[in-house]
Amino acid sequence: MFRRMLLSVLVRQKKKLFLIALTVALGVSLATAMLNVMFDVGDKVNQELKAYGANLNIVPKGAALVNELYQLDNADTRAAIQYIKQDDLVKIKMIFWAYNIVDFAPYLTTQVTVNDKPVTLVGTWFNKHLTIPTGDEVDTGMLAMKSWWSIEGNTMKDDNLQGVMVGETIATQLNLKLGDSLELISPLTNKKVTLTVNNIFHSGGIEDAELYVSLPVAQNLANKDGLVERVEVSALTTPENDLARKAAQDPNSLSRTEWDTWYCTAYISSIAYQLEELMPDVRVKAIMQVAESEGSILQKTQLLMLLLTVLSLICSALAISNLVTANVIERSTEIGLLKALGATNISVAMLILTEILIIALLGGMVGYFVGLGFAQIIGQTVFGSFVEPKMIIIPLVLIMVSMITLLGSLPALRIMMFLRPTDVLHGR
Amino acid sequence: MNKNQRFILKTLLSSLIRRRSRIAIALLGVAIGATVLLGMVTLCYDIPRQMGQEFRSYGANLLLMPANNQPTMPMTEVKKAVSLLPQDKVLGVTPFRYDSIRSNQQPYTIVGTQFDQVINTSPYWKIEGEVPKNPNEIMIGTDIAHFAKLSIGSTIPISGKSKQNSRFDEELTITGIVKTGRAEDNFIFIELNDLETLLEENNQAEVVEISITATQDELQRYIQTIKDNSSTVEPHLIKWVTQSEASVLGKLSSLLYLVTMVVLILTMICVATTMMTVVMERRKEIGLKKAIGATNKSIAKEFLAEGLILGIVGGVIGVICGLIFAQIISANVFGRSIVIEFYLIPTTIIISAVVTIIACLIPVKRALEVEPALVLRGE
Repeated sequence: MFRRMLLSVLVRQKKKLFLIALTVALGVSLATAMLNVMFDVGDKVNQELKAYGANLNIVPKGAALVNELYQLDNADTRAAIQYIKQDDLVKIKMIFWAYNIVDFAPYLTTQVTVNDKPVTLVGTWFNKHLTIPTGDEVDTGMLAMKSWWSIEGNTMKDDNLQGVMVGETIATQLNLKLGDSLELISPLTNKKVTLTVNNIFHSGGIEDAELYVSLPVAQNLANKDGLVERVEVSALTTPENDLARKAAQDPNSLSRTEWDTWYCTAYISSIAYQLEELMPDVRVKAIMQVAESEGSILQKTQLLMLLLTVLSLICSALAISNLVTANVIERSTEIGLLKALGATNISVAMLILTEILIIALLGGMVGYFVGLGFAQIIGQTVFGSFVEPKMIIIPLVLIMVSMITLLGSLPALRIMMFLRPTDVLHGR
Repeated sequence: MNKNQRFILKTLLSSLIRRRSRIAIALLGVAIGATVLLGMVTLCYDIPRQMGQEFRSYGANLLLMPANNQPTMPMTEVKKAVSLLPQDKVLGVTPFRYDSIRSNQQPYTIVGTQFDQVINTSPYWKIEGEVPKNPNEIMIGTDIAHFAKLSIGSTIPISGKSKQNSRFDEELTITGIVKTGRAEDNFIFIELNDLETLLEENNQAEVVEISITATQDELQRYIQTIKDNSSTVEPHLIKWVTQSEASVLGKLSSLLYLVTMVVLILTMICVATTMMTVVMERRKEIGLKKAIGATNKSIAKEFLAEGLILGIVGGVIGVICGLIFAQIISANVFGRSIVIEFYLIPTTIIISAVVTIIACLIPVKRALEVEPALVLRGE
């Protein structure tokens, strides 16, 4: 009997139940989309913030003071500068948090003269293909880290040993155009090399007065084969908290469990620590301007999305329960008739609840997939990448749908309990 | 008022009063829709601006440098240039002067600046201890502190040459150690006035950093204004900061726009379905009215009026809730109150009225098409 009544309601009241299913589907799709975007927005915004470039600077241990201070450059202080071995660079991709290292680029600066004018020449990797001993292959380099540079000309390649990227200021001073050739002489080693202008770039910083070449060219000119001066690293990090700040002061002051937590979280200080562990004789410095601001912006965005999600969940819950109430009230005549025929309150309530739950679950299922679609649309249009569907959302949504439909039916059921069959059937 | 109008008014009132629970449901639905509409759109307007302020934690985005290859520029000229910028948007203006000195035969770079401004333009500096407040107090970079084994409270001797070529020797106290991960780690910082006393100069700056809340286009315009009005000061855009800010902020606001769109469409449909259910229930009433001689037009008019009242009342409730909603989010996330665009308030009420009316009229139109006898029989 119960099953037959249920079936007949489902079949006959298609239109009305369709509205419930539609609303539930919409509410669920909203919830699914918002939850998916919310769980992913941290990673996505973190990626976007990589536009600010490196947040870690690796320098040789002893040279931390000397090299950035003396752009004055006399020969004997230069000789005292220490270097990082180029072969050590792959180790950057071998730390515990290797997958959080987005890009890195080594730099070797040397002085050259062009038409007897002193110019700073920087050797670097533009977009180098590396094979890591762990078997992974990565492409990394400076071009990906300097997204704000506007570059004229074809993309510079690392195997282009005859090409040079010229800063805008120098290009104007020396009257250089794309394709021109210029002769560089190193005053230290007296080596000479002729290069072609491959790109002219504008950075808005001191780089505009510098020349950029492939690393081997600079190493050859400076006679520093296999050596680099500093490495810039761009890493995805977790915003700092008290633990990270405590660790940044002195990692040894942490207790064992604190230390484990810190080491296994992608704080900028723990990534710096792991890099120092693996690479001999370097100091890893966090670039505060990038690291600090990143954390604050990331937290703000996540909090914003969390609040928006919670509020839109509340709204869709209200909308769904509102509709369920409306639906039950509308069927008061039918309920009155059932009661007049001798149905108990409990059996009527069971009938209505089962029927609404079935509809809600059907609607919810459709809504979940529609919501995934919305999340993908948002992910693709805004960040141009796939939003990872999180499995945890399925039970969350399932619980939400059941709770909302049950709670939403409560006021309606209360009304139903006090419904007097005679009144309803009479039409009052 | 003729008889007909009085009748419509009476049925309208009685329909609103007698069917309290249904009206409450419909009102709630409309109010939710209006809340989401106003709340989300207000946030959508305001958040890029609020986020723009957050992005100022990356520090200065405008640089003033001396024009015509001069080594320094007078601060009076800088003040004049800064006065061309909108004052309420300028967060900080920090002048810098660089000079080389020696301490215990080691060469160092000393930087003169205004510490009360540095905190505004470079909020990311990690300062241990305090910034200098008195003459003869300095702040040093962390690399110097490591290298020379100095700590807060210790003193270092410095010596150098003034611009008038006379020598100075001073004993300075360290009050703070600064860490930035960049060149600042190797500098000694001193109050600009104190440095100028040593250098025997007055009111000069080599570089002035400005942090200002503005988009890249606005900055370009400010730069043009300063260029047009000043011959001694040359403004530069710090592209690294502005370009990255523009790209990230663009992404964030388009994320917000999309989320708002999705939420709005879904809630509007939800409101419409609720209204439709509430109205569909009254098919019998419509049939009865038609049977006793009401024209389609007068029935439609009645529902229109009802929808209008519901839409406006619900819209007003929603506007109030929406403002609270936007305010809560803004206060929680940014700790600032939200700026309300006042024209959004009537717009929200109008939209909720329109949505309600449309949602009412669809089922009414369907009911009107049916023969009254069929409706009354319950088919």
